[in-house]
Amino acid sequence: MSNWIPLWLHKLGSPPTFYRFAGALQPWAMTLALLLGAIALYGGLVLAPADYQQGDAYRIIFIHVPSAEMSMFIYAAMGVAAFIALVWRIKLAEVVAMESAPIGAAFTFITLVTGSLWGKPMWGTWWTWDARLTSELVLLFLYLGVIGLYHAFEDRRQGARAAAFLAIIGIINVPIVHFSVNWWNTLHQGSTINVFGQSKMSWDMLWPLLTMMLATKFYYAASLFRRARTDLLAMEGGKDWVRKIAADEAKP
Amino acid sequence: MNRPGLLTACTAMLRRDLTLAWRRRGDIAMPVLYALIVTMLFPFALGPEDTLLQRIAGGVVLVTVLLAMLLALDAMFSSDIEDGSLEQLVMAPQPLALMLGMKILAHWITTALPLIVIAPLLASMLHLPGAVIPVLLLALSLATPLLSLFGAVLVALTAGTRRSGMLLALMLLPLCVPAVIFAAGAVAAAQQGLPWLAPIIWLAAALVLAVVLAPLACAAALRIALDA
Repeated sequence: MSNWIPLWLHKLGSPPTFYRFAGALQPWAMTLALLLGAIALYGGLVLAPADYQQGDAYRIIFIHVPSAEMSMFIYAAMGVAAFIALVWRIKLAEVVAMESAPIGAAFTFITLVTGSLWGKPMWGTWWTWDARLTSELVLLFLYLGVIGLYHAFEDRRQGARAAAFLAIIGIINVPIVHFSVNWWNTLHQGSTINVFGQSKMSWDMLWPLLTMMLATKFYYAASLFRRARTDLLAMEGGKDWVRKIAADEAKP
Repeated sequence: MNRPGLLTACTAMLRRDLTLAWRRRGDIAMPVLYALIVTMLFPFALGPEDTLLQRIAGGVVLVTVLLAMLLALDAMFSSDIEDGSLEQLVMAPQPLALMLGMKILAHWITTALPLIVIAPLLASMLHLPGAVIPVLLLALSLATPLLSLFGAVLVALTAGTRRSGMLLALMLLPLCVPAVIFAAGAVAAAQQGLPWLAPIIWLAAALVLAVVLAPLACAAALRIALDA
């Protein structure tokens, strides 16, 4: 009947199957990420018209907004994986959650750096204690806390479970931080892109942005697959399937 | 388990922790001394102008108290883990969350309460107007339990690790941003003669939520950290 989807997902949860699956998809995801990224950069830096007010300085949006979106998207993905890891104790979910954290932290860092580069010509300052900037900074600290907690344990699985718990606490806390900080002080502009309804942006500028968002998603997938594969090999070091892979690679 | 049994267990837990803390009275004084010294450093660093100190007094006292609590937080479960009594507590028939709630209460009484008692002194060292001090105390008495509860969850998570001090700070400080904003907001509003009740009520709401949820989360975190 139609129970092949849960069956397939169940199979995918086993490390050897995921290792092969991720190995097959990873090059495709990386190629797509590079291709779409190049198209988006060309569209954004060359084809798109200059802004009537900000001139060419606005073009950093094609890096800033996709990475800001990814910093939150990856946190959500990490939270979902952490929840699955804690409830069903699936090893693969632990790996996915823990390997998402460094990627998310990197995107958060890029967001902060590009934001401050953009803030200098526009607001006249590298940093301001504005609501969105502050909550992004808090998000970075949450990521670093998860990574730090994961590495503080000697037993990796125990560390992954503890860090997964912290990630879930963070998910509850992120909206609270966001609203409290919003109430505190706001300078950053509102959102320009609207999924439901008209975006406040011309199509010439919008399509490179959306393409870049897609490219970052593929990059996340590729990076996650690669990291998860390495982590699985390290974790399952003594198992039979790893030994088999090692033996195959050793053959000339 | 019938009800009186649970109550007896709670009081026994509380009495045990308070007795243990009382036997090591020196440890109780440490956060207080720390807060005093940090507060004393601010006039040295910023200059002894009354108007400047007055403006930052509320925030400085709040942050100092939070940091002093962070210093003491590390020790919340450490001695119980060393002598194995925490494992006994996990296996006990009483609900773990309730027992941990009692431990958190004992910890709050021994670390935060002395800090709240000394807070008026810290505030007047920085020339905070006397009329604002009750608001500061109210904000502190709502924000410190919040910090103890949040902190307990994180301490429980790091229970299985060594050298968790800095890690604890890294994990806790982002989480207590809202508490700082609301507590400092109330003090600042009172200082400017504005209505200060709204942030206090927000803090109280957060505290009610945390009192219910944090012990449960703490118990879950401890179970994760202790099973190897």
